[in-house]
Amino acid sequence: MTRKTRRLWLVIACVACLGAAAALMLKAFSSDIVFFVTPSQVAASAPPADRTVRLGGMVVAGSVKREKRGETPIARFDVTDGQAAVTVRYEGILPDLFREGQSVVAVGSMHKDGFVASEVLAKHDETYMPKEVAEALKKSGKWDPRFGPPPSAASWNSMTVQDAKKGLPASNAPAAPAPAGN
Amino acid sequence: MSATPTLVARAGTFFHRYANPGRFLKLGARLQPWLTWPALLLTLAGLGWGLFFSPADWQQGDSVRIMYVHVPAAMLASAGYAGLAVCAVLSLVWRHPLADLAAVEIGPVGACITALCLATGSLWGKPMWGTWWVWDARLTSVLVLFFLYLGHIALIRAFDDPQRGYKAAAILALAGAVDLPVIKFSVQWWNTLHQPDSITLTGAPTMSSSMLWPLALSTLGFSLGFAAIVLARTRAAVMESRIRSLLSSPRRRAGNASGDAA
Amino acid sequence: MTHLPYILASYGLATVIALTLSIGAALRLKKARMRLAVLERPSDRTTGATSSL
Repeated sequence: MTRKTRRLWLVIACVACLGAAAALMLKAFSSDIVFFVTPSQVAASAPPADRTVRLGGMVVAGSVKREKRGETPIARFDVTDGQAAVTVRYEGILPDLFREGQSVVAVGSMHKDGFVASEVLAKHDETYMPKEVAEALKKSGKWDPRFGPPPSAASWNSMTVQDAKKGLPASNAPAAPAPAGN
Repeated sequence: MSATPTLVARAGTFFHRYANPGRFLKLGARLQPWLTWPALLLTLAGLGWGLFFSPADWQQGDSVRIMYVHVPAAMLASAGYAGLAVCAVLSLVWRHPLADLAAVEIGPVGACITALCLATGSLWGKPMWGTWWVWDARLTSVLVLFFLYLGHIALIRAFDDPQRGYKAAAILALAGAVDLPVIKFSVQWWNTLHQPDSITLTGAPTMSSSMLWPLALSTLGFSLGFAAIVLARTRAAVMESRIRSLLSSPRRRAGNASGDAA
Repeated sequence: MTHLPYILASYGLATVIALTLSIGAALRLKKARMRLAVLERPSDRTTGATSSL
């Protein structure tokens, strides 16, 4: 072994050890690293009322009830992860992205009659779709944003705004590789 | 492992071919315009397309246009640090002099692009999520990356003997590289407010191609621009080190001009 | 356009950072090249790699 080879193995060994240590540490603290807990976790073991938790999930379609007390709007809605649902009560202005079927993170605490949020954050997914394409998908009945994520991207991601305006259904969207003239 | 020494030695010979500062300067001068002008062109095209011609998102509206700055910046923040880690290996194992000079120059550029990523992320998060900042795994790990860059910048300049600074900074760069997979996979390993990646190696992008094209252009443009700036700074650093050695030993000026740092 | 202030701030920030970095690098390169040319001029024409730049 030359000195360079020895140094190379030394560097590899150090990085491997460090990586393993970091991985173990992240694994150990995994429950603290998660940004929010899910409704089924809350349902399984409700956190004490004096502890602030972040509850994340999808707003159940049709569950949003808005009322007004004086100037402050009050909203009630159910948040679900598909297995359990928790009712959230929030006083204040909801973010622009808030809608039924949207993912949200509610910051607050669990009370007897449900979750009381002091802050509601909207979480959007990784789907980026032109407005017109979304309209076309909704019109053709392929997708209702209130009931879940959009259909598989392959079915619409080559669909351009022009196609959508022409009212082409998503499945016959031309397979043109590059809508470069957009 | 009988093949290893020859492999290591051969890799060393390959890298050291470009350790000669004269050869590096010649190559760098020839490469520079091929990085600078395409970078400028592609960035302007990508950002212009993204800002004026790409469609608005169905739920985010026009704020999705921040993506064309934010995503390339985020990618380069990680790629720049990976570059630092590569320089660190070259420096620690092969004692490559150019790797040290490049590491000095990558640091500030990478820190700037990480700051851009954090700032544009904040500007995007406020209207969309409803908050400037949250301590979720993705955002926090990128903030850690920013501090790693700052630490590297400080450490590499902290010693009177530059060689000691290079060594300490190289160790920091390698240790900090642990953060890179954490950034990449944070959105899959833990639930975060930040959404998962839209573009993956395994699946189709969950993004309309009318948004993907400007994003690809600006990402390519930013990357070339990053490379162009780092190359220009490294060339300047090589010239400055030659100026220093010429000034400190005026008598050996003639003999020094070729290969003083080789 | 919706959210215009946020979009403009992002693009503006990107422009400022790009301009600062690239102009800084160009000036530094120019200064170093000129100083090197001055230092290397009297003695060697044949050995210096930078004289060919």
